Amino acid sequence: MPAPQPRPKGASIVTYKAALRRAIRRNANEPEINFLNITAMLDIMTIILVFLLKTLGESSAAVPQSDDLKLPISIVKTPPGQEGVLVTISKSQIIVGDSKVLTLPGRESTAQTGVGARYKRGGPNDMYIVPLGSALQSARRTDKAIRAAKGLDPASSEAIIIADQTTPYRLIIEVLFTLGQSEFGKYHLMVMQGKKK
Amino acid sequence: MSELTTAQRSKIRRLSQPKELAPDEEGGELNIVPFLDIIMNILIFVLATVAVTFTATIDTTPPASKSSGVRAEVPSEALNLTVLIVNDGFGLKAAGGNIAPGCQNPGPGIAIPMKNGKYDLDALTACAAHLKSLSPEFAEENQVYISGNPGTDYQTIIDVIDALRQTPQGDVLFDNVNFKVPK
Repeated sequence: MPAPQPRPKGASIVTYKAALRRAIRRNANEPEINFLNITAMLDIMTIILVFLLKTLGESSAAVPQSDDLKLPISIVKTPPGQEGVLVTISKSQIIVGDSKVLTLPGRESTAQTGVGARYKRGGPNDMYIVPLGSALQSARRTDKAIRAAKGLDPASSEAIIIADQTTPYRLIIEVLFTLGQSEFGKYHLMVMQGKKK
Repeated sequence: MSELTTAQRSKIRRLSQPKELAPDEEGGELNIVPFLDIIMNILIFVLATVAVTFTATIDTTPPASKSSGVRAEVPSEALNLTVLIVNDGFGLKAAGGNIAPGCQNPGPGIAIPMKNGKYDLDALTACAAHLKSLSPEFAEENQVYISGNPGTDYQTIIDVIDALRQTPQGDVLFDNVNFKVPK
């Protein structure tokens, strides 16, 4: 039996490892992008969504439109004023901020005597609405403190009037008059932007 | 230095091949496609809702039965225009007195009567522009007083404010509105 041939002597371990490293480097693929990385886009979209929802929720422009309250349409494009106490006059009630102040009688009655003699200080011809005045004085105290804290002139407050498009002039004037008597010096009448028919 | 043997070469070839990941090892990414769908829908809905509820505000001051209070002082030679919204149309009063029908001369009557049962807002705009152009001293005046019948709709008042605000060509007429207490 012939003697086994001696195994060829291989390269040293160092040479072998160096060759292996070179081969690994040579064969290494560039990292393949096999999925779309949309994390950044998601971040942006989520931020936009949260921002929009927050703006919409906080804006006084978010006026709920219903049969009881439809804003008049105007060609005015002045951006809605953000400062001021909200006074809402719907077909059936007057609201200051989020609190209902009084229930209105029917339109025929409000067109003649406004909110009615029982809510007035001095009879049916008076313009001052007592329950509204009380609510506004309370709102004025709060607004005065806020304005002072913000560095604004606390001498008078501002009001945002949201009124239904069928509200009679008499009622509008009574509300504006009562606001004036309660140290509100500037009003923003809120309207819906649009074109006239 | 000795060369690599066939076995060593073979081993290097085998070890240097990039590893193939098993399907369950790949990426490990969260499937956020349904989440994206929902976000996109909400975003479009919010944008569409915002687009249809554009509001604006008209600034004014407390009403008064006399021309006093917080409103701007008007010089004596001012036009001092007052528009009265009555059942038959628009009555106009200026410094020179009541404006007669036709909006050309002073005199009694409704300056702009109703047209086909509707308030003639175009004629009101034209009349306001005409009155403002009567004197160069009126050019800077932008204050107007509005009064109306107690039953006048708020929408009609806003229409009148719009009609007095500017001409169809965009020239500003009276954009400072004050209300008067109806008598």
